[in-house]
Amino acid sequence: MKPEFFTLLRSPAIWLVLAFAATMPLWLPPYYLGIGVLTLIYIAMALSWNIVGGLGGQISLAHSLFLGVGAVFTSALLLKFGINMWVGMLISAALAAIMGVGIAWVDFRFKLGHLSFALITLAFAEIGELVVLGWDFLGGASGLYLPSDKGDLLAFQFGGAKGYFWLALVIAAGCFLVNFAIINSPLGYYLRAIRDNENAAQAVGVALLRNKAIAMAISAALTAIIGTAYARYVAFVDPYLFASPAVVIEVVLIATIGGLGTPFGPMVAALLLVPFGELIRGNFGGVAPGLHYLVYGVLIVVVILSMPRGLVPRIMDVMARRRAS
Amino acid sequence: MLEVVGLNAGYGPVNVLEDVTIRVDEHAFFGLLGANNAGKSTLINALSGTVAARGGRIMFDGHDITGLGPEKVVELGIIQVPEGRLVFPQMSVIDNLMLGGYSKRARGQRRQRLDEVFDLFPRLAERRSQMAGTLSGGEQQMLAIGRGLAANPRVLMLDEPSLGLSPLFVQNIFKALSDLHKAGLTILVVEQNLHLTLSHATRCAVLERGRVVVEGAGDELRNDPNTRRAYLGL
Repeated sequence: MKPEFFTLLRSPAIWLVLAFAATMPLWLPPYYLGIGVLTLIYIAMALSWNIVGGLGGQISLAHSLFLGVGAVFTSALLLKFGINMWVGMLISAALAAIMGVGIAWVDFRFKLGHLSFALITLAFAEIGELVVLGWDFLGGASGLYLPSDKGDLLAFQFGGAKGYFWLALVIAAGCFLVNFAIINSPLGYYLRAIRDNENAAQAVGVALLRNKAIAMAISAALTAIIGTAYARYVAFVDPYLFASPAVVIEVVLIATIGGLGTPFGPMVAALLLVPFGELIRGNFGGVAPGLHYLVYGVLIVVVILSMPRGLVPRIMDVMARRRAS
Repeated sequence: MLEVVGLNAGYGPVNVLEDVTIRVDEHAFFGLLGANNAGKSTLINALSGTVAARGGRIMFDGHDITGLGPEKVVELGIIQVPEGRLVFPQMSVIDNLMLGGYSKRARGQRRQRLDEVFDLFPRLAERRSQMAGTLSGGEQQMLAIGRGLAANPRVLMLDEPSLGLSPLFVQNIFKALSDLHKAGLTILVVEQNLHLTLSHATRCAVLERGRVVVEGAGDELRNDPNTRRAYLGL
């Protein structure tokens, strides 16, 4: 582990931001608190995707499978077998990690290029959606309704938006920490080497399959955990939300706009874009539904043209240049 | 030290190497020559384990290493500096070198190795925190070689180190390789640049369409009609 990791943990700024965020449920009005929960969930999703997509440079669209496992499978286990959601969450995280390793193996075995990888993972995601829609055990097209939330922590019930805000905050902070730890560890170097050039990475002895599989497993397990929390928060497991690649594509867009590979990029972009999108939806949803997608689309075009590495790396460049001059 | 016996290798339906046999002795500076498509890179990649052997054996120190994965081959000290430099462009010079030294075999001596690399290529020391992608072609080649050295090689294999470089840089690179050779390193270099290789290497082989057509000391090969033929395709 490089010393940067511990420097960050000791920096007061990070703890102040976290402490400030933790007070938000106490004074934010409910509508905005809801947006806050959603923002934290997207931050967590963007960060866990960043491990594979940003650090490893592999544009995985299969993350809807992992989100779906965490949300749909965990809920099905609860409703059909009465399995506690905490336990279900762990089962789902393990299952997602195994699926992630499988996908990494397919990628390695068939030496997929970046585009083929994106398309094949999209195909996996679509298959996953069809499985959920067609299988009654997983709720089919009508989805699954979770029992009402009585605030029973042992049953993975966190009460209202306040409780879920804190839960999402813990998960998002955890995802950030995992990102930062990986970046400053040998695994992070291996992943960046693989991203920059697979052949050169092999030439210095980086084991492609093992490192891709580890990254995929960590990322998948985190995404499944987020899926369980998200599903319990909205209490209705909509297959078109949790099992469809649409959410993941949104996450990929957010992470790309923010800047891949650093933990700050996906976080800052989610922090800006999700509330922005929600406010647009809240204010113009009646007249112009889908307007926030249009905004994302325009933004990504602008960002790619003007700052190809993303928002945060660009800001860091500008700051470094200021300091130098 | 490194022995290839009757090696066959290729991609899909195409066989590139046919029955290739070469021997690289310890402390040799071995030049592998040949025109485009002769199979030089395929041979070096088969040695690295990134291309599977379809027949024949690869022996290292008397052990059969045919079929070992690339990361295992690196642990043995058989290190490749790939063609076209292939540094990690979005990492700093120092991080590139550190990655070279991440294998178990090199990890303990990383600091010392780094100093040696900086002695050999002082220019890399000047640019240690610069992104590798912003270096010139010659500097990237130096970095790629330095990254290979950081891995603590017993055999350093270079694939076309002169490719796309100015004559001055090519001279510098071969001078550095000669220095490494004198210091005791075994070097296997794949090249199209005939005269340069013949004048530096202690032993050379010429590949033509996947077969070894001549093998011998540099001076012998210079006047061998087979060398000429392999190059000009006559």
